[in-house]
Amino acid sequence: MTPFTSGFVGRRSLATLVCGALATGGLAAVGVTALEPGAASASSHREAPLISGQPQYDNTDVYAFASPDKPDTTTIIANWIPFEEPAGGPNFFPFAEDAQYDLHIDNNGDAQGELVFRYTFKTHVKNDKTFLYNTGPVESLDDPDLNITQTYDIDLLQLKDQHLVKKTKYADDVAVAPSNVGKASMPDYAKLRSEAVHELPGGATTFAGQADDPFFLDLRVFDLLYGGNLSEVGNDTLKGYNVNSVALQLPNDVIQESADQPIVGIWSTTQRKNASGHYRQVSRLGMPLVNEVVNPLKDKDKFNASAPWNDGDFLKNVTNPELPKLIEAIYKIEAPDEPRNDLVDVFLKGVEGLNQPPNVRPSEMLRLNTSTKPAAEEKRLGVLDGDNAGFPNGRRLGDDVLDIALQVVEGELVGSKNDLGDAVDKNDVKFEKTFPYVGQPTSGSRGPLAKGTTGTNDVRNQLGDALQPAGANGTGGMDDTTLIAVSAASGAAGFLLVGTGLLWWRSRRRSY
Amino acid sequence: MSPRSNDDAQERDLVDEAADPAGTAETAADPTGTATPAETAGAAGSAAAAATTGTGRPAPGERRGSGRSRALQLAACAVALAVAMTAGAVVLGNRGGDDTSTVSSAPGLDPELLAGGSLASGISALQSHLKAQPKDSGGWATLGMAYVEQARTNGDPSRYPQAQRALARSLELSPDNDPALAGRAALAAARHEFPEALAFSEQALDENAFNERALSVRIDALVELGRYKEAAKAADEADSRRPGVPVFTRYAYVRELRGDIGTARRVLKQALAGATAPGDIAYVAGSLGQLSWREGDYGVALKYYEQALRADRTYLPALEGRARAQAANGDRAAAIRGMEEVVARFPLPGPLVVLGELYEARDDEGDPAKARDQYALVDAWTSLARANGVNADLDTALAAADHGDRKAALRAARAEWERRHTVHTADALAWALHVNDRDDEALAYARRATATGYRDATFLYHRGMIERATGHAKEARGSLSAALELNPGFSPVGAQQAEKALTALGGAR
Repeated sequence: MTPFTSGFVGRRSLATLVCGALATGGLAAVGVTALEPGAASASSHREAPLISGQPQYDNTDVYAFASPDKPDTTTIIANWIPFEEPAGGPNFFPFAEDAQYDLHIDNNGDAQGELVFRYTFKTHVKNDKTFLYNTGPVESLDDPDLNITQTYDIDLLQLKDQHLVKKTKYADDVAVAPSNVGKASMPDYAKLRSEAVHELPGGATTFAGQADDPFFLDLRVFDLLYGGNLSEVGNDTLKGYNVNSVALQLPNDVIQESADQPIVGIWSTTQRKNASGHYRQVSRLGMPLVNEVVNPLKDKDKFNASAPWNDGDFLKNVTNPELPKLIEAIYKIEAPDEPRNDLVDVFLKGVEGLNQPPNVRPSEMLRLNTSTKPAAEEKRLGVLDGDNAGFPNGRRLGDDVLDIALQVVEGELVGSKNDLGDAVDKNDVKFEKTFPYVGQPTSGSRGPLAKGTTGTNDVRNQLGDALQPAGANGTGGMDDTTLIAVSAASGAAGFLLVGTGLLWWRSRRRSY
Repeated sequence: MSPRSNDDAQERDLVDEAADPAGTAETAADPTGTATPAETAGAAGSAAAAATTGTGRPAPGERRGSGRSRALQLAACAVALAVAMTAGAVVLGNRGGDDTSTVSSAPGLDPELLAGGSLASGISALQSHLKAQPKDSGGWATLGMAYVEQARTNGDPSRYPQAQRALARSLELSPDNDPALAGRAALAAARHEFPEALAFSEQALDENAFNERALSVRIDALVELGRYKEAAKAADEADSRRPGVPVFTRYAYVRELRGDIGTARRVLKQALAGATAPGDIAYVAGSLGQLSWREGDYGVALKYYEQALRADRTYLPALEGRARAQAANGDRAAAIRGMEEVVARFPLPGPLVVLGELYEARDDEGDPAKARDQYALVDAWTSLARANGVNADLDTALAAADHGDRKAALRAARAEWERRHTVHTADALAWALHVNDRDDEALAYARRATATGYRDATFLYHRGMIERATGHAKEARGSLSAALELNPGFSPVGAQQAEKALTALGGAR
């Protein structure tokens, strides 16, 4: 950058320049930019991402139940990375390497974890010359064609009063089941998955890998929180989406305080390594829907960073919940009287006589009485329907927690019988009969099933249609240069078309 | 279940209005209500007049043709362009609003989910959802934020008025909701209203101390206001509350501003390893490219730019950075091709200057004229910006100082310095003073620009030239040597100037 040299620019050349810039659409775009200080003009002001996609750290659900085929063990399942789209080419969804995926167990009701099973993952790339997930059909977990693999360690942390007393390596270098990228790449996915089920010394079993999202609900049920209604429910919003699951089957005597006090509290957290090198908790989940439904917006982030020990902070959200008031306002269903001690029992303490530990300190975790035998026949409404082996005594994959939570919030336990629900009563994919129980992931070669779409007309296609300006319909086959040239040639009215041409072009560049 | 009870026509209209061409044009076309074509003519005229009455050495705005006729010519073009721009704004403002009814209601779209796929499809789904559920304050806040993010990634400020309306709607429905407050903070920052951005971000943090966007904007605002110590503290706090790509990128920048390149690079690499969304990868890899380029590691920079472009092949900062790195690496042909592509899309002052200088350096037949064309476009751009009531950005001031209207550059730099004391405003002011022959005044600003330890060869070059002009030969040698050691390809023409000056001073230290 030098302090001179702006030479002569005559009339002709300036006019040509400006009009030339206009014809290519460039200055029209700058013109818009010039209307306000814009991002593109401001390299001295860093415009860094504000909306960032970091789903690997997002814990979606936790399940804990008496293993149906192994009643003296408890299976804990925790899921991360919601809305994994199987469609759209070979997608690979890794666990994050800079995260600690923790399963916590409080076995004496004091709201402090006594045991932490910590999963940490490593990614391995066989051939870093290619970006492909696999380079041919994958027959086994150690197939050389599986280019990118992950392994994990489990550390067992034993704690007393939130201080570490002992740390042991519980598992070392166990293989993760790969993302299911499609039939051609993975002709026998079930085999790959079975190879990822790994037995640990002492009778425990572990699994980590992709699975069908076992949660089933119609997300639109939350419309009611937004002032909507429940008239259009009945679609499993999560149908066709996968998650990453961590499953751990543990002998009951490993996790119980004693045979006389078999009630445990279970929750899961994600810790992420921050810039200064410390691990910070960024996600927390135990009882389903509490953070989604019971906690008001401004508390959600704080909750994600908090520990059960401090759950007194959120007590009022449970004793005086927003949801029934919203429902009353919209549907004229009378909200039960406050304070809602019945909700404190279900969500924070456990049901008395079933899964409430002695001297319990109210805190949000999934409470399971490990001495409960698995049900011969599971009922989706669990305890509400007389099936004590189900939610809220732990949570099985098939428990309809949305209906249960909604009914309980509306006073099912305090005399206000109701049968509210979202009309989605079971998962779209069958659960397995043996560990890890979760359904197999939807394969990448299946058609897309994005939200609010049918058939092949996925969101992006619709968006493309919506964004394509009416005037551009006939030019679908043209490239943008042609379109713009035509526009520029058509004179003053062409300005509008330059705009639409840009618009059309931008809509293309946005579809990654 | 009861039928829908919230079918509020007025609120439905608001969704439509967000896409209403007339509404957008009204808001977007004249943000201040002060700009007139006459002012443009005046600005250009005075610049030209100044050029003809300038001092001994050639003034930057000097034209051998008639200053007056050129000014009129420029003004006429500016008027034509202003009209064209307004038309463009109308059309662009209309985008995405119509015909989205085919996308069914997608309740509670998390901002995070927006980042996963296409931002535009998320916005479209949100608009559709808000037509059905206009009382969803969270949805309005997310939509407002999404508009701000879209303006960032596409350089399309016609989104700002729409963002403002969506955020206002959210706050009307739910006063004090922190996502909308954070959205207002982000919007203010995007419009370079940094004191407001700071105040809004703090309001949002009062509601929710863990709000990732508010934590991020607070750092941005403090950085842009030049309050680096507070920015560093805010970055530490954000890092302990919400580690993630948005905070990491800011944390790294705060460290880089203090000269801590090692930490900046480490944190950006960490952010890149954890990034999955294409927009995140493009931004973080692009930032690593820029960091490497500023350090003179052109090969490494090119590697990162390629990575950014793999994630988003149209990501403009990476295209521009790649061209700069190619130029610095000696691949002038590729650099010119790349920069021509950038300029064809967004003829902004920075890239125009680089392209002009690349033509000058190549010096084939017709190249001097081509170079002059680029510089003329810088002038046209600046006039247009001013005609639209936009205070020219710092880059504009720098470009104008080198290749355009020097007096206007000084005015812009001074105005910006009045608003905020940062290393960038100090450097721009120093350089604008220098090209206006006010080196004694310039020296203090040039020293201030380099005082935090921020390593930028351009700053060092500017400082060296000013030191030389003020008779500090020894310091000048040091500064110019440092500039060329750090990043010898910092500017095609500037590097030559630096070498010449250094030779005149007796060679590198």
